[in-house]
Amino acid sequence: MTKEELISYIQENFSGKVELIENDMPEPYFLIEPKAIVAFSRFIHDDNKLIMHFLMNLSGVDTKENMEVVYNVCSYRLKHRLFFKTVLPHEKAEVDTVKEIWAVADWHEREAWELFGINFNGHPNLTRFLLPDDWDQGHPLRKDWVGRDVIPFPEGK
Amino acid sequence: MANKLHLETMQINMGPHHPSTHGVCRLILTIDGENIVECVPDIGFLHRSIEKICENRTYAQCIPMMDRFEYVTSMMCNWGFALATEKLTDLVVPERAEYLRVIMGELNRIASHLLCIGVTGLDLGALTPFLYTFREREDILDLFEMTCGQRLTYNYIRIGGVSRDIPPEFFPKCKEFLDKFGEKCDDYEKVLTENPIWIARNRNVGVITEQMVYDYAVSGPSARASGVNFDIRKHDPYSIYDRFDFKVPVFYGGDCYDRYRARMAEMRQSASIVRQALDQMPEGDVRCKVSPKFKPKVGEVYSRVENSRGEMGFHIISDGTVKPFRVRARGGSYNHLLVTPEIVRGLKIADLVAIFASLDIIMPEIDR
Repeated sequence: MTKEELISYIQENFSGKVELIENDMPEPYFLIEPKAIVAFSRFIHDDNKLIMHFLMNLSGVDTKENMEVVYNVCSYRLKHRLFFKTVLPHEKAEVDTVKEIWAVADWHEREAWELFGINFNGHPNLTRFLLPDDWDQGHPLRKDWVGRDVIPFPEGK
Repeated sequence: MANKLHLETMQINMGPHHPSTHGVCRLILTIDGENIVECVPDIGFLHRSIEKICENRTYAQCIPMMDRFEYVTSMMCNWGFALATEKLTDLVVPERAEYLRVIMGELNRIASHLLCIGVTGLDLGALTPFLYTFREREDILDLFEMTCGQRLTYNYIRIGGVSRDIPPEFFPKCKEFLDKFGEKCDDYEKVLTENPIWIARNRNVGVITEQMVYDYAVSGPSARASGVNFDIRKHDPYSIYDRFDFKVPVFYGGDCYDRYRARMAEMRQSASIVRQALDQMPEGDVRCKVSPKFKPKVGEVYSRVENSRGEMGFHIISDGTVKPFRVRARGGSYNHLLVTPEIVRGLKIADLVAIFASLDIIMPEIDR
């Protein structure tokens, strides 16, 4: 499906719960309510016209005002792509896990939990992942993070 | 007192410094005799926080960081990052630079597959293929050294083109290599493909089903060995790949043996792409004018290239300043290590070595 077809098809089936983010990239980009993430993921994964069975990437993002989780999915069979994201408050960053839908989300979510402090409800194994086992300096990819031994990179002229 | 026979399972560590883990990876195995009951990968030993470092560098300074992200195919990492950044700008890459990117990328793919096949042989006790493949890999590294002065971390593909043109002696050397490479591939096949020991160690070991490919986002030759006909170069073309005539080899077994065969067939296709690119390459600039402190437009991009071990994607968020706001790199090994516990259940420890080698897992790509 082309970008326009994907947008109208998803807006028809998920009216009111999705918001289109305008951009000039070849993929449609939607903003989804945190509560609707699992339902939306289930829909695009199972729907016969979308078959988004391949989660390419899942990133946590700290925008300074909010936390975001960005999902990049594609379909190998139909060869189209779709991006969507959800916005979470800084203090209580919580979203349901999509591990049951895409098994690969397991590690992506563990990583976002560890480096951003985003909590994935229902994830069975949110444990130390990339950082040392005795790490006690918070979530390093947050923008307000200050490490104990970090020397800031000098600003160029 | 008589020795009691212990029948319970045992936990052992494989790694972090096991020679067959190709990097620093710890696998916590629960074994029953020699059979694996459970395998839990423990990663993070090579974590260098590349994503955090990139947030404090300009875009041009990020390119050398990407060499270290995955050092076996640094060309493709440079390319992936440059491609993603170019989508956020209006830069037009010169024709000649596109061809040079394809030539270097494909040569790098061959070098990476040679490493994988040679090392798989070594892990399974066959020393000869290792010596054979490294002989040819050496030729490719010589070509790279001639071009950019480096043999491992090239920093060659830059934003807006490549760092410099190839020297005139590159063409005869490269053609000479391509002419003999077909025969050399036949040699590897003679040593491995029909070898009964190789077949016994690899066939029906570590089968990845088509459903697993989708669930665990397995990509690259490992996915194509499981019957999934998807190659980003063919089905979602980037750069100038739509101008070349090449096949996507697909195999249906999903086991270690088919993964080996997929890599073997892919090397021949890559050699053919390099040959076509050398013939078609026009004269001209190799780099457009880019300020080292250029500012891309505000936006967000996810762009992917076909790496030798799967999809390599870069998710970049730009806030319009000289530095990226967020960089996330995703490599194929990440998913391949995640699927490993699923496919090793019930097999022997020696099979785990074969599976690990055949999936071509490179740890720095996972830990970043």
